[in-house]
Amino acid sequence: MRGAAAIAVLLLALAAPEARAQRPWQSLTPEEQRRAWENYQRYQQLPEQRQRMLDRRYQQFRSMPPQERDRLRQNYDQYRGLDPNQRREFVEKYQRWKGRK
Amino acid sequence: MRCQRAQQWMAAAVDGELSPRRRRALDGHLASCAACHGELAATERMLTALEALSMEAPVSASLEQATLRRVRLAAADEAERVPASRWRAWLPLPVFALATAAVLALAVGIVQRTGEVSLPAAPASRRAPKPTAEAAAARPKFAPPVATAPPPSEPPARLAEAPDLFMDLPILRNMDKLRHFEAIRTTTLDDEPATPDGQEPPSNG
Repeated sequence: MRGAAAIAVLLLALAAPEARAQRPWQSLTPEEQRRAWENYQRYQQLPEQRQRMLDRRYQQFRSMPPQERDRLRQNYDQYRGLDPNQRREFVEKYQRWKGRK
Repeated sequence: MRCQRAQQWMAAAVDGELSPRRRRALDGHLASCAACHGELAATERMLTALEALSMEAPVSASLEQATLRRVRLAAADEAERVPASRWRAWLPLPVFALATAAVLALAVGIVQRTGEVSLPAAPASRRAPKPTAEAAAARPKFAPPVATAPPPSEPPARLAEAPDLFMDLPILRNMDKLRHFEAIRTTTLDDEPATPDGQEPPSNG
């Protein structure tokens, strides 16, 4: 039992760095490079406080299991697909939902 | 409230993640502090532009046709105004065709980059109908102030070491909303919010 747990921990330790590894810049497609470059320029114009918050969220995002990251990406696609009225309603619901705590 | 505290709360405020009580306190500060007010406005504009940035830039057939139609109309008007102009008379046809192709390629490139068409206005009688207020509201309020130059072959160190950070920036910005997306969508505005069992409590992300 203990041996199995040790093997599981070892496998997780080996797998985790692979899952979190950064893709090298050169391996990005031209479209991905363009998007990353434009977002980088916007990021540079954000206040430092905002940059730090995004950095923290990025660390959280990277530490998530791949399935969870995929779920967030799918949710983002849906979020982007909302029209302005739906978006406004969603934000209102979000504030309501968040206000419960 | 001091500016330092206000700036801490601004990050949450622009995402709509600030509690109503804090939002009121922040608004009170912003009403009396032009510097913080300006910073919040600039950040909101920047993030709006960031969110409006398309992940991809498809060009619809209708947009392409509309672009070509306006180019043709503009060219026809020009020909009517300057009949048998001298330069057209001696300009060889291939050169004229190449110049037209270059203009079209440039126009398509602009459309692919920005999704917007900016062409010389056609005469009033042929002008396209004005966009509706809804369409105008849906559009970003300002052009993203970033250079349209292609990415460098040698990116800055920060970009090279974490390109995924910048690719996923819009997701990171909305991470809290996206983590609880389903629960938020099923929340009702009239009654108590419906949070499924086992849903983790909201956080500031």
